[in-house]
Amino acid sequence: MTTWNSIKIVKGSGGWGGPIIVTPTEEKHKFIYVTGGNRPKIVDKIEQLTGMKAIDGFKTSIPDNEVALAIVDCGGTLRCGIYPKKGILTANVLPTGKSGPLAKYITPELYVSAVDVNQISAVDEATAAENVAPTAVSDDQEDSKYDNQKTITQQMEHQGIIAKIGIGAGKVVATFNQAAKESVQTVLNTIIPFMAFVALLIGIIQGSGIGKVFAKIMTPLAGNVWGLMIMGFICSLPFLSPLLGPGAVIGQIIGTLIGVEIGKGHIPPQYALPALFAINTQNACDFIPVGLGLEEAESKTVEVGVPSVLYSRFINGVPRVFVAWLASFGLYAGK
Amino acid sequence: MKYITDFASGFMGLFQTGGKTLISWMTSIVPVVLLLLVLMNTIIAFLGEERMNKLARASSKNVVTRYLILPFLSAFMLGNPMAFTMARFLPEYYKPSYYASQAQFCHTSNGVFPHINPGELFIWMGIAQGVQKLGLNTMDLAIRYLLVGMLMNFIGGWVTDFTTAYVCRTSGVTLSKEVKLTAGTAE
Repeated sequence: MTTWNSIKIVKGSGGWGGPIIVTPTEEKHKFIYVTGGNRPKIVDKIEQLTGMKAIDGFKTSIPDNEVALAIVDCGGTLRCGIYPKKGILTANVLPTGKSGPLAKYITPELYVSAVDVNQISAVDEATAAENVAPTAVSDDQEDSKYDNQKTITQQMEHQGIIAKIGIGAGKVVATFNQAAKESVQTVLNTIIPFMAFVALLIGIIQGSGIGKVFAKIMTPLAGNVWGLMIMGFICSLPFLSPLLGPGAVIGQIIGTLIGVEIGKGHIPPQYALPALFAINTQNACDFIPVGLGLEEAESKTVEVGVPSVLYSRFINGVPRVFVAWLASFGLYAGK
Repeated sequence: MKYITDFASGFMGLFQTGGKTLISWMTSIVPVVLLLLVLMNTIIAFLGEERMNKLARASSKNVVTRYLILPFLSAFMLGNPMAFTMARFLPEYYKPSYYASQAQFCHTSNGVFPHINPGELFIWMGIAQGVQKLGLNTMDLAIRYLLVGMLMNFIGGWVTDFTTAYVCRTSGVTLSKEVKLTAGTAE
């Protein structure tokens, strides 16, 4: 009589997906590792915690319907998607996200990446899925387990320096590759859309003649320290600042307008520094309850924190602009 | 007829000007920001969140680590908005102050390290692109932005300690003050 235990696997540093819970059943009580013949440490830990049998996918193959979990070390080509496609829970040793030709099958429910020993933990019987059927295990299984263990231990002893270097290099490359994928997503989803919006705005302002009107208003405001301090003062008013905050959109637009005037030479470039502070004295005033939520603050703290931060923004707003102005002396002076 | 043609070409001119601006950004800003993001994301993946958690626990002791070092590193490592989660180890009383400091660190460091807050990059970039247009090095501006930010964000966090005390006092009728005080004096 063998009892199987459930485990929870969360994503590691830089990883993606999960957390997944692996619950071995009478039918699915084996897990496969397809990691180029090397045996990751997590395999031992999973064996220990769950009581499941580990199968080296490069040596033996077992029917898919017996596989409770697949462990891969895939940097984003095929393997990371092939098991999720079959509906098999997959843990990737490398920090690969949703990628490769089978990316659409990789979901957080089925897939977790950057898994190391620390990401695996035992789950209480109570929280485990109820479809665990405790039944006697046949002798046949015990035998095969022994055999399998033996080959694996032998294999571990044979793992040489070259294999270790290979694994290390694979991890570095995969981490860079994953970082590149995330970065491209960030640029595509957040930076370029905003650039398109701001570029259109600049086109309209410069092409239509509104720019001249803006220049008349902006130049006296942004071209000297008093104007900037007034701007900072207005933005930091506690009843106004939460309205100016959302997405920093207003700050970004005013910033761009000032930038255009600097580019045309209407505003001296050293005023860029105090201007950066003046347009943003309302910084994140709309976001206080959410931010405090991320800080796991109690509701009492949020009640006090919202007015407190609004007041401190108001007190600090004008001095920030003034200090930035002081610090702007000598900036771009020789040019 | 001439008016219509003039109007139409003027109208298209708006988009051509905008298009030129967009393409100049695409060739100058996008590649640099993208490659920087790649490297930064890689470094962050290697260093890991666990080390940041340890640092956060150790940082609650005094104002300098609490409102200067921790928020600066959190912004660098976790970016906006996840940097705020580092305050979860602080006593309740200091959480608003940390928020005040952290939110500004997500901007003032953004000139040198645009991976921190790419969604709100144009607070920095809007102004910096004007400086760039003059042929000046925006890094001069970015470094000063960062340094002034470090000083003023730290002061901002500290000042919030006092405004929090003030709000606690004025709203003394409510129960929140007592909770705050116990959290505050716990240190």
